[in-house]
Amino acid sequence: MKLSRHLRDNVRRLRAVYSDCSDVIFHELRIGGHTPAMLVFIEGMIMLEELDQQVIAPLRDGPGPGPSLEDVRSRTAVASIRTVSTLNELLDEIADGHPVLLVDGLEAALVYGLSHWEQRSVEEPTAESVLRGPREGFIESLRTNIAMLRRKIRSPKLKVITFRLGSQSRTPIAVIYMEGAAAPALVREVLSRLNRIEITDVLETAYIEEWIEDNRFSPFPQLLSTERPDVAASYLVEGHVVIMVEGTPTVLVAPATFFSLLQTPEDYYERYVVGTAIRWLRYFFFAISLLGPSLYVAVVTFHQEMIPTTLMLTMARSREQIPFTALMEAFLMETMFEALREAGARLPKQIGSAVSIVGALVIGQAAISAGIVSAPMVMVVAITGIASFMAPRYTIGIPIRLLRFPIMFLAGMMGLLGVILGVIAILIHLLQLRSFGVPYMSPLAPIQKHGLKDVLFRAPRWNLNRRS
Amino acid sequence: MIRKLLLVLVSTACLLPTAGCWNAKEVNDLAIITGAGIDLTEDGRIELSVEIYLTSPGGTESDGPMTGQPNGDKGTSVIRTVHGINMADAASRLQKMISRKVFWGQAEVFLFGERMARAGLEEPMDFMLRHTASRERSQVFVANGPAKDVLLLTPPVDRSLSDALVSMAEQQTGLNITMKELAQMMVGKSRAAVLPIVHIYPEKDLQDAFPYIAGMAVIKEGRMIGKLDEYTTRGVMWLRNEMKHATVTVKPDESGGYVSLHLLRNHTRLIPSIQGDRWIMTVRITGQDDIVENTSNLDLSEPDHLEQVEREMERFVEERVKLALDTAQKKLKVDIFGFADAFWRRYPKQWMANASRWDEIFPEMEVRLETDIRIARPGLIGKNFFPRQEQR
Repeated sequence: MKLSRHLRDNVRRLRAVYSDCSDVIFHELRIGGHTPAMLVFIEGMIMLEELDQQVIAPLRDGPGPGPSLEDVRSRTAVASIRTVSTLNELLDEIADGHPVLLVDGLEAALVYGLSHWEQRSVEEPTAESVLRGPREGFIESLRTNIAMLRRKIRSPKLKVITFRLGSQSRTPIAVIYMEGAAAPALVREVLSRLNRIEITDVLETAYIEEWIEDNRFSPFPQLLSTERPDVAASYLVEGHVVIMVEGTPTVLVAPATFFSLLQTPEDYYERYVVGTAIRWLRYFFFAISLLGPSLYVAVVTFHQEMIPTTLMLTMARSREQIPFTALMEAFLMETMFEALREAGARLPKQIGSAVSIVGALVIGQAAISAGIVSAPMVMVVAITGIASFMAPRYTIGIPIRLLRFPIMFLAGMMGLLGVILGVIAILIHLLQLRSFGVPYMSPLAPIQKHGLKDVLFRAPRWNLNRRS
Repeated sequence: MIRKLLLVLVSTACLLPTAGCWNAKEVNDLAIITGAGIDLTEDGRIELSVEIYLTSPGGTESDGPMTGQPNGDKGTSVIRTVHGINMADAASRLQKMISRKVFWGQAEVFLFGERMARAGLEEPMDFMLRHTASRERSQVFVANGPAKDVLLLTPPVDRSLSDALVSMAEQQTGLNITMKELAQMMVGKSRAAVLPIVHIYPEKDLQDAFPYIAGMAVIKEGRMIGKLDEYTTRGVMWLRNEMKHATVTVKPDESGGYVSLHLLRNHTRLIPSIQGDRWIMTVRITGQDDIVENTSNLDLSEPDHLEQVEREMERFVEERVKLALDTAQKKLKVDIFGFADAFWRRYPKQWMANASRWDEIFPEMEVRLETDIRIARPGLIGKNFFPRQEQR
């Protein structure tokens, strides 16, 4: 709806829209003591002092009647002034915390970029800490986040497209890419998927993640989420697209592959020999975190001849008094472990340590001495737990934690055959999965020789991007 | 997608009862057999004795009609004995006597009683090789007497008797024959095999009696036909390329003392040749040894003196090998060295033509010995520092 020439009409409409909104301030003033005007803003979201000194004072004290749009504009000393001419635009600007000036006789409103509210300072992201490398993480402010990226990539080819999503929340969203690096088709696809979203509110990137991923039923994340500007920047340079949402420090990177989810920034900040070794350690323990308890259950209930004799006899002794089958035991312990982990994650830090102490005592010491759980099982669960903490991203750890249980069940039913069946089923799923058209398991399947340099090894920098 | 997911879930659910857990066996439901002894009774039945590892700390199982181990201080294993028409029969009877599922997968030792071995090993071997759970890598011995007597011993050092026998065999001072090797020898071209013999020292009923491995049983066509003493056994092991760890003491001429050598690495090569209708086997023994002790007046930093020791060592090896050859060729007339396989590999046609005559050819065969022993490391000192006065 277009704005009216008459201030009275516009104010009436606005007051109707903002009825019962006590935080919306309507400040009446007369430009040059003559022309009626109305400043509309939301309390607490603006720089009040700046508004007083740079906008209200010059306008009130300036010369008399008949100001044109240009005239009013030039009288104030504010760097960012825009004009809007429809009511909806006006509402968005007010909601963003920009003071808006309506002047009688003008069909447009002036928007002053004087929004300001309390925000968290830039801190080290807790979920993705590194020993070497930048310690800054994204915060809740979209503007700050974009600026952080811009400080990493100073090229004008870094493009930022912003728009709003959510019929109620009207949340600003930014789609960021590198011109020339990102495939235009990919950028178009991301934008078109985002535009098709019908949603009332976007409070976190997860809200839109579920709308735009390729396979909505997969337990595996098909977008990479990160809180680190350096990670986002490196993906941008490689031609990925970054999606940011106002109000959350987590940004999305598309497309994501299985192996990109298993990388840490430190793979690249350490020297390549170390990076390669640590990467393989991570792959190994990733497999353990999926299969650890299942392999134990399978071997203990079906393939006792596979265990070296001495170990077998020791295990037989420790299992002698255990009332449960190995499968039951594994289910109990793994469920207990997941419960402990969840409890620890939700509690305040001070209480969290208490939980882990109680947990260690309960599921470790007491359960063994009471003869409810065998010592080897506690070890297996502990090793699996440590292995699952090695997943570099929380999002890739979750499906593994989930899938551990069905595989354990298969192992208890069919032994190693069941484990293999489970792994094959997961592999089939992973191989048919795509993220924005990119095969999830690439560059391993389909095989791309140059890509393997960053999967099987971490090739040295001077060789990493050479495509031959 | 939802329908597909449901379909998968339903079909998996249908599969579950068909798979079931029929094959599952919990560790605490197993009777873990660590070793088995097989004897032949007077009336021709199989007597199967098994050593079962006691997983329960107390060792609660009552003795009942079976022979239990005397409730000794170790008490980590029990022996159960059953009789049967053959191995399978005895094994199934064993299951009836034990509350838990008999588990053969960890059996490390199979011990044949002497009478069993003399009667023939084919029947129990068939059972053990056919059984899915038993290991081909388990070790096979022949007891000097009934196998059960050996199983009833309580070795003081090791966890169980089987464990003790395995470690002893693996020292490689005696023979070390696994089930797979035995089967290979028995079906080999010479159809002859050797097995280590387990003795009881000092006597079977003594409290601190323990088993030890010495000598070998010679098996032909599946039947034990003789025993070799420890001295001859060494010669056989040289020929079979199984001599790995040993310390040999020789007395070089006019040296006034002894030199002891430790075998570092050895290799025995069998080179068959047929010249006309003469079958000749050349045995090439090469080796490198360490000097571990020298009480002679030789100065082992002198190349000449070293060579003297080397020649002496060669003579020593040849002597032993000749003794073994004589015993096998002339006395037992059985090819326990794998000569037949060597000929068969090199001259398949001639061997096939003469396969039936092998028992005639072997005792008459000319065996040429080529020994080449080198001393690799004479040790830190050359001469003996402490010579006795009268030997100066």
